Formats: sequence, structure tokens, C-alpha cells
Amino acid sequence: MTTSALTSAIRRRRPKRQTGWRGLIYIAPAMALVTLFFVLPVLFTLWMSLHKWPLLGEPAWIGLRNYTRMFTDARFFNALGFTAHYTLIVTMAIFAVAFPLAIFVEKQRPLVSLYRTIVFLPVVVGLASASLLWVWLANVDSGLFAPLFDVLGLTSGRINLLAKFDTAFLTIIVMVVWKIAGFTMIILLTGLQAIPAELTEAARIDGAGRWQRFRHLTLPLMRRTMALALILSVTGSILAFDQFYIMTSGGPQNKMISVVYYIFNQSFVSFNLGYGAALSIALLLILVTLSVVQLWLLKVGDERP
Amino acid sequence: MFKKLMAATALISASMISAASAETISMWVRSGIGDSFKEVVKAYNAGHEHKVELTEVPFAELVQKYATAIAGGQAPDALSLDLIYTPAFAAAGQLEDLTDWAKALPYFNSLSPSHVKLGTYEDKIYGLPLTVETSIFAWNKDLYKKAGLDPEKAPKTWEEITANAEKIRALGGDTYGFYFSGGGCGGCMIFTFTPLTWGAGADILSADGKTATLDTPQMRKAVDIYRNMVEKDLVPAGAASDNGVNFLSFTNGKIGQQSLGAFAIGTLVTQHPEIDFGVTLIPGVDGKPSSFAGGDNFVVTKGTPKLEEVKEFLEYTYSPEGQKIMAKFGSLPTRGDIANEVLEGLDPRLKVGMEAIAVAQTPYTLQFNDLINSANGPWATFTNAAIYGDDVDGAFSNAQDEMQSIIDAGQ
Repeated sequence: MTTSALTSAIRRRRPKRQTGWRGLIYIAPAMALVTLFFVLPVLFTLWMSLHKWPLLGEPAWIGLRNYTRMFTDARFFNALGFTAHYTLIVTMAIFAVAFPLAIFVEKQRPLVSLYRTIVFLPVVVGLASASLLWVWLANVDSGLFAPLFDVLGLTSGRINLLAKFDTAFLTIIVMVVWKIAGFTMIILLTGLQAIPAELTEAARIDGAGRWQRFRHLTLPLMRRTMALALILSVTGSILAFDQFYIMTSGGPQNKMISVVYYIFNQSFVSFNLGYGAALSIALLLILVTLSVVQLWLLKVGDERP
Repeated sequence: MFKKLMAATALISASMISAASAETISMWVRSGIGDSFKEVVKAYNAGHEHKVELTEVPFAELVQKYATAIAGGQAPDALSLDLIYTPAFAAAGQLEDLTDWAKALPYFNSLSPSHVKLGTYEDKIYGLPLTVETSIFAWNKDLYKKAGLDPEKAPKTWEEITANAEKIRALGGDTYGFYFSGGGCGGCMIFTFTPLTWGAGADILSADGKTATLDTPQMRKAVDIYRNMVEKDLVPAGAASDNGVNFLSFTNGKIGQQSLGAFAIGTLVTQHPEIDFGVTLIPGVDGKPSSFAGGDNFVVTKGTPKLEEVKEFLEYTYSPEGQKIMAKFGSLPTRGDIANEVLEGLDPRLKVGMEAIAVAQTPYTLQFNDLINSANGPWATFTNAAIYGDDVDGAFSNAQDEMQSIIDAGQ
């Protein structure tokens, strides 16, 4: 009895151990790629951040001085402030546009694939190309917007949109929404489509109104999708660089220096690679913290679908 | 198919072996300095065994691209480097020491002295003059005529320039009286705007380069002159966000007056012969003219295997033939001993660029990129904030503080 129980236990355990090894082999390529292209670079960045590392010349060990310097660096805090401001506004704008669009294209209606395609088209344009396109659109002399607004009588004379902070910021927000909203829409769309039609129908039979169905049925069931879309949007906005670099070169009077832009300037304009690395590590920590907080706020992972 | 591939590969490698005696030197040049260097390379390639392969790099990115290329082992054999950066690269030990060879050149003592000075670090020569340019003031004679001004009379003061700009702007439409790249182009503004204060005896840095001296009455006056022209709508609206891309707006024929460089004379003469223009020195705020002596030094990446070929090329650019080609496209002669001979028969307006050398200045600082040229540096920010912003005093004090803190951090 005991021996048979033992053998059966072994028999039961052995295939389990095998699947463990097999599983490891399956994920080995992914792990290798992540190690090679993420873990090692991060470790190297960490190593660099502990040095005074000029682009030309020999690095010198300075311990944590790059990190302490950060706390007295007003320009870094300005960049953080601007990035937070930008992230908040652009994320809200993207969701405000993408959610209605997702609801609009979810229902089967004539030409729905066409709508989806049109809204998604800007997503396949590179951000740098899109920025260049919009630099031209916003050009006061040879572009589109300034003469158009002038002709329509919205402005008296042509306005140089990129010359003042408010208008330049607005131009960039509109550009990013135009560029990104389609992507967020597709993510939200998958969430909407995953909601079983029976549930909505049951709610309708129970007498729930349109708003009530959205608030108490659609939103809670889309929590995971929302979390994904939110994290992608927030992370993307915090890492924003191309549009500021290309469209305004940091904006009128440096008012549009995002954190990544500041890291770029420190590393490749001032050649302080060590300090740039330290700033990158700080940014990585901020991003991880923010993502954890967002997951926690949206309570993703608590329940199993 | 496989055989064909093999044959093709063999053919290519065979042709490479046969070409091995003729070396190809890779060289970089920054954009926006006119065509003189490109043209001299073209002429050299046409008549010599060795070839130069030229890569044009955007002027705002040349320094970081070169620095990263050195770090990555992909640096070109030689490059045309903005002379103000020579000390920094020489100090970092990245450039080939050219002292012995340079001093053996029979015309060494007549090479542009400010270039050689900036090319010298700790008594060794790392950079030699390649292109020389000075900033000058240009006006469009056709627009002067249309506005009822005397097209042959060069303006001598900024009051005169402003008054002329108003008359030209009065022609209406998209004709404007003045232009400058005001969207945070540090390089453009140090080149064209600081001469206003230099002429009047002020500078933005102390002589030893250790104190920022931005806030002077002369600079205040210079800012007022530009602000006034912007307020009166004499400058196209696009200038406020031009980060240097449209620096040569004068070439569109709708700008009455602009401070340009001698390179632009070459570009105008060779590519825009339809524009009839005059040039003079840039007046200071009190009328005394000044200029920025700039241009590029020729530097060689340390350890390049093609040093002899590179030297041969440089000797060609110093030959009367090479100098003549470069001058034709706007680079002033680097050799003083044959300057008159070189300029003979060329556009007489180039002589104004040559005269400017006598009154010109060049700032000497190892932090030129951080302080002046970086689009997000204090100088670039200042030029936009002071001329276009609402808070002039704030622009002065912010830039003054930030310049000083960058200088202090670099000590």
C-alpha cells in the first residue's frame, strides 16, 4: 500500500517536473532576448550612472554623486513637471477621443471597417514622420493651418502656431491624439467586443438605461482593457521625445523639455553620459512605480475572468 | 544561380583589390556652410588618384554625431569642424597632432591666425583653417529701389536699417523689411546678433571666459532694436519659430535686409543670380561695425590610417587653385599671402567679408555647445525670450544665471 502510494506519487510528480523543464525551454528564447536587450543594458546603465562618464575621454567613479545632483537640478524638475502636465492632458484627450470612437465602430453598421481603417491609419505613420508632417502643416508661411484660419476669419492675420507655448502645446496635443487615438481605440474595441451580448441584453430587460448599462456593466467589465490602454498611454507620454524635438526643438524658450529630452540633452549635447544614465534609471523607477499604482488602482489581478 | 552569385562576388572583390591603391578618404562637413567645401572636393576627386567621400551632417548635430562616432569606432578620417569646437576635441585627445607637418608648410605663417589659434591646444596644432567666414549685413537692392530707397547706399546705423525696413514692409504682401532666425538658433544669433554689442564694446562673456556678462546696456539696446522691428511687423511671423532651418530666407527675394555670412554671398552669387544685393559690415548699436569670425577647421581623427592621403587633400585646398574654387563659393581665402590673387576677378562683395576680419571677434570657450549653440542652452533661449517674450528682464536674469552656472559647473 505504502509503496504503491509512493510510486503513484512519483509517477504523478515526474511528468510535472518534466513540464517545468519543458516550459523553461519554451520561454528560453524570450528570456535570452530580454536578458540581452533589456536586463544587460539596464545593468550597464546602472554601472554608467555611478561614473562621471564623458562621451570623449575616460570615465571616473563618483559613486552616488549623479543621484544626489539630481535633487538640486532645477531643470530636471522642470522637465518632470512638464512631462507630468503633458501626460495628464494628452492621456485624457486620447481617452476622450478614443472611447467614443471605440463605441462608434463597435456596432455593426454599414462601412464600419472603413471607419476603423480611417481612424487607425495615422497609427501606422511613424511618430517622427508625423511630427515632420505637422511641422509643415503648422508652418506659418507655407503650411495649412495658419492660412486656413486666416481665410476662415478665425484669426486676424496669420498666426505662428509654434511660436507661443499655448498654441504650440495645443498643436502637439492635437497631433498626438490624431496619431495615437486609433491605437487606443482598437484596444478598447477588443474590450468592448469581449463583453457577452447576453449580459447587455439581460441588463436591458432589467430596465437599465443606456448610461446605467455603460456605468455599471461596460466600464467594470472593461477594467483590464482600460488598464492596458491606460498604462500604454501613460508610459508612451512619459517617454515622449520625438514630437518636441522635431516640432518645437524644446518649445518656445525651453518650455517643452520632456524628461527624455532632458536626458538626451545631458547625454548627447552636454556629453554627461553618466548623469544621463542616472536620470534614465530614475525615470525607469518612476515608470515602474506609476505602472504598479495604476494596476493597483484598477484592481487588475484580483479576480480571474 | 549560385554560380552567378559566386561570379559576381568574385568580380566585386577583384575590382576592390585593383582599386586598393587609390584610397577613399571619408570626410564630414556640416550643413549650412555653403558649397565651397563640396565644390573643392568635387574638383579634387576629378583630378586626383585618391578620392574623398563627403558626408553632410546637419550643423546642429555634427558635434554629438562625431563624438558618438569616435566612441563607436566609426569616425570619418577627417572632418570640417566648426573652429570653436577644436579646443574641446583636442583636449579630449581625439585629434591627430599635425604640428610638424603644419609648421613645414611654406605658407604656414600666413594661414588665418584666429583659426590656427583655436586649432592649437597646449602648443600643439590639431586643427588648420579650412573655411573662413565672417558675418556681414546684406540688403536687397531691388526691394530698396521699389521702396524708393537708394540701392547703392549701405545703411550705417540700426535706426537707418529700421527706417528702411519700414519702407520695404510698406510694399505690402509678404515682403518684409528684415529677417533673423529667432526660434532659438544659438549659432545663428551669436553669428549675426552679437556683433551689435561687440561693435559697441560689450561682450557676453568676460575675456577669460569665466564670467557671463550678458546684461549690458549695449545688449539691452540691441534687444530693443530687434523687439521694435518685430512689434512693427517688419519681420515675417515664421522667424519666431525658425530654429535655423530657414536661415537663408534672404534668398527668397522677399526679405529686404538680413545679417548673413560670407558663405551666403557665395550661395547667392552662384545659385540665386536673380537677386541683386549689396553687402556691408554689421553696424553695432552705436554705429561702430563688428563681425563674427567663424568657419571651420580641418581636423584629422586620431589614428586614421590614411593620414598621408588626407594631407595631400589639404595641400590641394591650400593651393591657389583650391583657394580660388573655395572663394568662388563664398569661403574667404585661408591663406593671407595669396588672398588678393585669389579674390581677383571674383565677386567684389567678397572683399567686404575679407574687411570684416579686421573688426571680427570669436568667443573662446570650451563650453560653446552648452552655452551658445545648443537649441536648449541659455543663449538660444535668451534670444527668443528677450526678443519675443513678454518679460525682457526675466529673460536677461535667467540667461545670465544659467550661463554662469554652466560655466561654474565646467571649471
